[in-house]
Amino acid sequence: MKRALLLAAGLACAAPAFAHDAPYSFLDLRLQPGRLEGTLTAHVFDLAHEIGLADPNLLLDSTRAAHEAPRLARILAPRLQLTGDGRAIALRFDGASVERARKGVTLRFTAPLPRSPGALDLETRLFPYDETHETYVNVYEGDSLKLQTVLDARHDRARVYTGTRQGRLAVVATFLVAGIQHIFTGPDHVLFVIALLLLGGGIGRLLKIVTAFTLAHSITLALATLRIVDPPARMIEPLIALSIVLVGFDNLRASPGRDHRATLAFLFGLVHGFGFASVLREFSLPPSAVGWSLFAFNLGVEVGQAAIVAAVAPALGLLRGRSPTLAAGVARYGSFAVVLAGAYWLGERLLLVGR
Amino acid sequence: MTLALCLMARPSSAHEFWIAPTRYRPAHPDTVAVSVYAGTGFRGELKPYAPSRVVRFRLRTTRDLDLSRAARNGDLVMARFVVAEDGGALVSYESSFADIELPGPEFDAYLKLEGLDEVRAARGSSASAARERYARCAKTWIAGSDAKRVTAPAGMTYELTPLADPTTGAVTLRATFRGQPLSGALVRAWNRPLMRGARPFDGAARDSVPPVTEGRTDARGLVRLNLQHSGEWLVSSVHMAPSADRDEADWESYWASLTFARTEK
Repeated sequence: MKRALLLAAGLACAAPAFAHDAPYSFLDLRLQPGRLEGTLTAHVFDLAHEIGLADPNLLLDSTRAAHEAPRLARILAPRLQLTGDGRAIALRFDGASVERARKGVTLRFTAPLPRSPGALDLETRLFPYDETHETYVNVYEGDSLKLQTVLDARHDRARVYTGTRQGRLAVVATFLVAGIQHIFTGPDHVLFVIALLLLGGGIGRLLKIVTAFTLAHSITLALATLRIVDPPARMIEPLIALSIVLVGFDNLRASPGRDHRATLAFLFGLVHGFGFASVLREFSLPPSAVGWSLFAFNLGVEVGQAAIVAAVAPALGLLRGRSPTLAAGVARYGSFAVVLAGAYWLGERLLLVGR
Repeated sequence: MTLALCLMARPSSAHEFWIAPTRYRPAHPDTVAVSVYAGTGFRGELKPYAPSRVVRFRLRTTRDLDLSRAARNGDLVMARFVVAEDGGALVSYESSFADIELPGPEFDAYLKLEGLDEVRAARGSSASAARERYARCAKTWIAGSDAKRVTAPAGMTYELTPLADPTTGAVTLRATFRGQPLSGALVRAWNRPLMRGARPFDGAARDSVPPVTEGRTDARGLVRLNLQHSGEWLVSSVHMAPSADRDEADWESYWASLTFARTEK
């Protein structure tokens, strides 16, 4: 609030040359063997505000900047949270210099890294009272630029996966779990898979259906993730709901010798793959490990899907063996329920599109 | 002076955005660097480059080049290029959306200032806060003999395109939104002097100035501006519509700008 008032006062009545329209900081992190090196450059206006200095331009004097550096480091260090594989990294600030082009002071820091982390996490809001403040973050591994991002009040954290074996393992672990979570927290995908299983069938037939779905969604997941094909979510989400309605209807029209489930699984699997891709993209894929993240996420989806099949198919098979009449009832009324649920989601998603 | 500056104070959200080259009339083989400024009254601060926010960043000379990888995140110079011939160069930059939330009265003041009367009318007397997302669509014309490079649209979502070389003679601009003429858009123009060699002064080390002239586009999206002075010119317009994604924002705006230099009196 205090800062907002300062800014407002600056904009309203100060000479424009003194108004602060550049609420930016610059953070460079460099992972080197055995250590982390970094620089943080902040505008003198922000730094002066932190230490109660009336004239920010005094910090553009290198002697004054060096004198104030320990105080500034004590204030800013707690707002710069770094962890490697979940363990906090303690930063040691050891110097400052003036960067006139950015009207800022650059603070240098290092940290020992006895073991190269697989995942480096960063969380920062350097000047939390300023909602408009942005921190431009570049992370290097050696000389390779691994991440370029901007953190602000809404997006205050970032993750970098290193190019090491630990980095690849971290990517696989993260995206495998994300794939499994997505299947179990997305009732539409769960219901679609269950709907395909309701009519039962031998292992060969079920395998064919599941393989068709897997193949199809893997294709479109890869195409959309790599931005080769990129249909809008407002189109895909209603189509996923429609796929559930149609599979339910198809179940209700089932008759001996008529089973289109593998074909439907493939056709609608293509649509579900685009849905998976939109979720995967929300994770901001590591540019240097897109292949690993795509593979691991897809594997997670398959694991989740296999768990549903492993739970539902034997149960329905058991019921069918003990009471064919009851099993037929479950398939029929279950399919009704699938159609109703799909229709509800379809209406809901079409309404959202029309808003 | 202080009073004048206070009178010129504007809502902090209403920041023009423009591209500034190091020279508007280079001779080959000069190297030209381009940066962007965000500010008010043709006075602003350098905006750092953010690759994650680029929708398009292109250079049109004899060829059309992608500049989006020419700089790193946080760089204050977005691109450097060598002028290889005299035809001129058009640099165009479009950003993705950034979000802002404003208290109702401030949002209303900003709408009034930018001439967004339809949006004001749609909001009525609402004093509620507004969630807005805004995108930048900026161009600069580094003058040359091939005017077609500046008179052909760059393909941005919202765009101000001159019908003829804007560096001389009368200036008529066409405002297009998604490629279609946009009528009723307020287009304003600011002017600042240039240094020798058609080099602009540092955009951060000068005072804000009010617009020199303004006009609204007609049914064909055309507006004629009377730009009599020499120097550096910024023409800018804002188009706002209900947000296509209501979960993200209530309104979405596009800020089109074009900078160029004129030499005649």
